[in-house]
Amino acid sequence: MRKNKGFSMERKKARWGWVFVTPSLILFSAFSFYPIINAFYESFFNRNLLSLRPPSFVGWNNYTYLFRSREFWLSVQNTLIFTAGTFVPLVVFSLILAILLMSISRLRRFFQMAFYSPAVLSSVVAAMIWLLIFDPRGLANQGMNALLGTTGVNYNWLSTAGMLRLSTIVVYFWKYIGYFTVMFVSGIGAIPDTLNEAALIDGANRWKLFWHVTFPLLKPTTILVSIMTMIQCLKTFSTQYMFTSAGAPTRPINVITLNIYNTAIKDYRIGRATAMSILLFIVMFTFTWLQLRVSRTEDVSYM
Amino acid sequence: MNAHKTKSWYLEKMFSALMWLILIVACLLIIVPLVFMLTASAMPARDILRMPYPWIPSGIYWPNFWNALRGPEGDFIFIRNALNSLIVAGTVSFFTVIFSCLAGYGLAKFKFKGRNLVFMLIMATMMIPFEAIMIPLYMVAMRMGLQDTYAGLIIPFLANAFGVFLMRQFLITFPDEILDAARIDGAGELRIFGTIVLPSSGPAVATLAILAFRSQWDSLLWPLLVVQSDQMKTIPLYITKFMAETHSDEGIMMAVAVMASIPMITLFLTLSKYFISKEGLTSATKG
Repeated sequence: MRKNKGFSMERKKARWGWVFVTPSLILFSAFSFYPIINAFYESFFNRNLLSLRPPSFVGWNNYTYLFRSREFWLSVQNTLIFTAGTFVPLVVFSLILAILLMSISRLRRFFQMAFYSPAVLSSVVAAMIWLLIFDPRGLANQGMNALLGTTGVNYNWLSTAGMLRLSTIVVYFWKYIGYFTVMFVSGIGAIPDTLNEAALIDGANRWKLFWHVTFPLLKPTTILVSIMTMIQCLKTFSTQYMFTSAGAPTRPINVITLNIYNTAIKDYRIGRATAMSILLFIVMFTFTWLQLRVSRTEDVSYM
Repeated sequence: MNAHKTKSWYLEKMFSALMWLILIVACLLIIVPLVFMLTASAMPARDILRMPYPWIPSGIYWPNFWNALRGPEGDFIFIRNALNSLIVAGTVSFFTVIFSCLAGYGLAKFKFKGRNLVFMLIMATMMIPFEAIMIPLYMVAMRMGLQDTYAGLIIPFLANAFGVFLMRQFLITFPDEILDAARIDGAGELRIFGTIVLPSSGPAVATLAILAFRSQWDSLLWPLLVVQSDQMKTIPLYITKFMAETHSDEGIMMAVAVMASIPMITLFLTLSKYFISKEGLTSATKG
């Protein structure tokens, strides 16, 4: 009798478990699983957003078209340039700033807040500020001229291909440097002080302390931050969209997401856009899977 | 011995001075664009692109803010768009918290067949980036008649895998004794959830709510797809339209930037610990 009651209690609890997870499951099915499965399906059809004709099955045509399209490879190249150009400096400089922050005892909180503050602005606002800074008469030219001792040189921040790419990288770097610095700070903060003290007593200087104690312990955080930055850079959209809609040339900064958006919304080619989405998905899926694996092992033990 | 000591003392001092120098320079470089935004919003356009830039505005030039509110067509659409942003970000944030808490609680505190599978499935959605499913999602939204509606802006973001994960991790350590005691007292499961579990999840809820609010406030791509009318635009869309117009006045631009940032800056200054917390950081922001 008693056992029976316990059993029904368990079953009741199990039912409540389902009640609690069902709303989320329904939402995830409708807005994550269905769209991704649907994307695979649609990528084999030539659906046109405006055409009334039913889409016909075209097999791998969307993919083979993309692989032969120069514009597609250009947007892959643009994305890779942006990602490499952003993620390496971001990781290096945020690590340096975090280490400096951890070695000061006063004003640490203040610096953290100041570094982090650009991340609080929305990316559209950030792009708007920098568009004015990169204006031929703006602060960027003034600063560069002062720095290089030139007068009145226009560095064409928003017109030549190389400079335009650099400009988008600068915006992104500025926006996220503090974010990743703070992330590293919490990674360093997790290292027990006793370890540092032990090393100092053993006669290690600051450099040795960093290279042999702090840095190896920061490796998991570094890897995690690197993957996170890469994922974010691969899906960059807002800055490039804002720059092009303010009149900057599209070709040098036509990144994948911008290409997907324009293919679907301006050219109405849904099939081709979803095929591109699938390719992006495969790349990002790999990175995210890596991130989850790393973050699971991130809680390193210091014993 | 003594000489050695002073030498290393000097080295230490120099090192420390260098450290402070780098930090201060980095801080200035990061702050300059923000100071530019604030000062430029208070200047007439003709001063903003003067060379060299006059850093200190002579008083606040109010026409910038007035014209930013009025909008290019004089219909005060900015106010409507700002309200839209608040409505969308607020609603998403509220329901994200509710749904994430429900699912996180269910996964943390109830044993049921398939629980691990459910958890794995929800975690798997973290590997589906929004940018990769936006076009199919857009087709789904169109078929459901959600284009140009609040529902279309809100509903796709109500379920948040990171939120479920965060709440599950938070609630897994919640003492079962308290829950069982409430059950013995005859409280129903929903009441336990509403009066015990939810109120005691404060920090996790705050982190999650801010995270959801921020990502919606920042969101550009999805509103670009779903919204058609000026009435339904959110602030980022207002800004893109504003920028695409050729003769935008720089002072008004920066006034818009300042006004669009006020809610986030206020949140940041009052609740900074939820921004600069480990949980608040581990989820990559969208955009």
